[in-house]
Amino acid sequence: MNFWLVLTVNSVTFGGLLFLLSAGFSLIFGLMRIPNLTHGSLFMLGAYFGATLLTGVFGVKLNFWVAAILAALGVAMIGALIERLLLRRLPGDALAQVLVTLGLSFIAADLCLMVWGGDPINVETPPWLGGFMRLGSVAFPNYRLAIIVIAVVFAIGLWMLLERTRLGAMIRAGVDDPDMARVVGIRVSQLFTIVFALGAALAAFAGIIGGPILSVYPGIDQDMLPLALVVVILGGTGSLLGSFVGSIIVGFIYNFGQALLPELAYFVLFLPMLLVLIFRPQGLFGRQLP
Amino acid sequence: MATSALALNGVDAFYGDSHVLQKVSFTLGEGRLLGLLGRNGAGKSTCMNVTVGLLPPRQGTIEVFGTPVTRLPPEQIAARGVALVPQGRRVFRSLSVQENLIVAARAPDPGSRHAPWTMETVFKMFPRLEERRNQISAHLSGGEQQMLAIGRALMQNPRVLLMDEPSEGLAPQIVAEVMATVRKLKDSGLSIVLVEQNPKLVFDIADDIVILNTGQVAVVSTAAEINQAGVDLRQHLGVF
Repeated sequence: MNFWLVLTVNSVTFGGLLFLLSAGFSLIFGLMRIPNLTHGSLFMLGAYFGATLLTGVFGVKLNFWVAAILAALGVAMIGALIERLLLRRLPGDALAQVLVTLGLSFIAADLCLMVWGGDPINVETPPWLGGFMRLGSVAFPNYRLAIIVIAVVFAIGLWMLLERTRLGAMIRAGVDDPDMARVVGIRVSQLFTIVFALGAALAAFAGIIGGPILSVYPGIDQDMLPLALVVVILGGTGSLLGSFVGSIIVGFIYNFGQALLPELAYFVLFLPMLLVLIFRPQGLFGRQLP
Repeated sequence: MATSALALNGVDAFYGDSHVLQKVSFTLGEGRLLGLLGRNGAGKSTCMNVTVGLLPPRQGTIEVFGTPVTRLPPEQIAARGVALVPQGRRVFRSLSVQENLIVAARAPDPGSRHAPWTMETVFKMFPRLEERRNQISAHLSGGEQQMLAIGRALMQNPRVLLMDEPSEGLAPQIVAEVMATVRKLKDSGLSIVLVEQNPKLVFDIADDIVILNTGQVAVVSTAAEINQAGVDLRQHLGVF
């Protein structure tokens, strides 16, 4: 009983992290049709930046949340630069975009290895979230519960931004019909940069708040990226609800798969993706591409 | 001479290798309505796409109230007061009616003499849109989508309004409604280009007529002259 409950909480927690990672990936793909293979690297960069700020720069140790926000802002700037300086020059060229973003992810991986070395870095749980919450005979780590809360808050915040603001309506208009959006005066190119930076910030934020659970190590980028891809294929590109549901599903499949069928963990992970691709290629909540 | 609201001067445009506009020139006077006629494929929609910046011309210039806008990106041409009601309506399908209007909203030019268009005035003109303000626009009927496309263009508080076949695919009664709207907009002093395949709709509303034939300007005239002289347009427009 305990085993199942704990596994369930872990799955939802992991799903929450995946949502933060994949929401940006999905928006970037939905709006700009850019398969951003640097997304795992942005997650990793956020984790490394945050970990560094936490252990202290110039003798100043930062609060966990301040470090997380600073790391996210830093990575948002990197994301904006990638979009402005590189991807901007390759509109509509999916092959070039894949090559450039994949190349960047290799460069980022090597740079991180140079700067932070090959050993995993442990990220300490924020002290006041270090305890457990007891429910009968089961104890849930507070931090994992906090991640679930954060993911839900971000999901609601992103939903409000997209569905309840003029900026969000403009972004959706840009997804619907980019040419017509420009003709009615929407500066789609600025929106692209904003969305890319926002997606990068979310990924980086996921990286650092995932730190206490996953730690930070070389290769975490390539561990996370395929999961984000699976989420987006399951949920449908450009759909926030799709990212959310897809993330929770993948969180469960991944955790239960590793616990129960460790030899088949990847098979169990990719099988649902395959089924969705065969029977509902636009994803569970995606719209049919025109 | 009256101020020109929009002028195309010797515009050449290509889709790939095909030369779709050849030295096209015409002028829309301020506060006038220019009917742009021609058969399917004559280049009418291409003229609109060139004007709003979706298809940069290879040669020639485009001016809006005397300011060149040639090869500016679409959002900057929109900021200079050009709005398009596109062929096929192209409303933002996943947005609600209200959102379609909000995203296009732009403050009018300081020198503008018209009362500015707001969501309220658009809803006053199209009460049916107000009833459906929270509906997703993909679920609207063709006529309602056409009204939304017009309302969206008006929210930009344009100085030049381009309407690309607003009657296309609509029931006759709705067409009459749309044309009545066009007349109201003209009477408000807006400068309008009305693209149509059906000349009958255009002749009793237009001031000026331009007829395109295979990418070239074939006829430039006024509606009055054509009506008076009974010019035979069949060679340019096909039998009607």
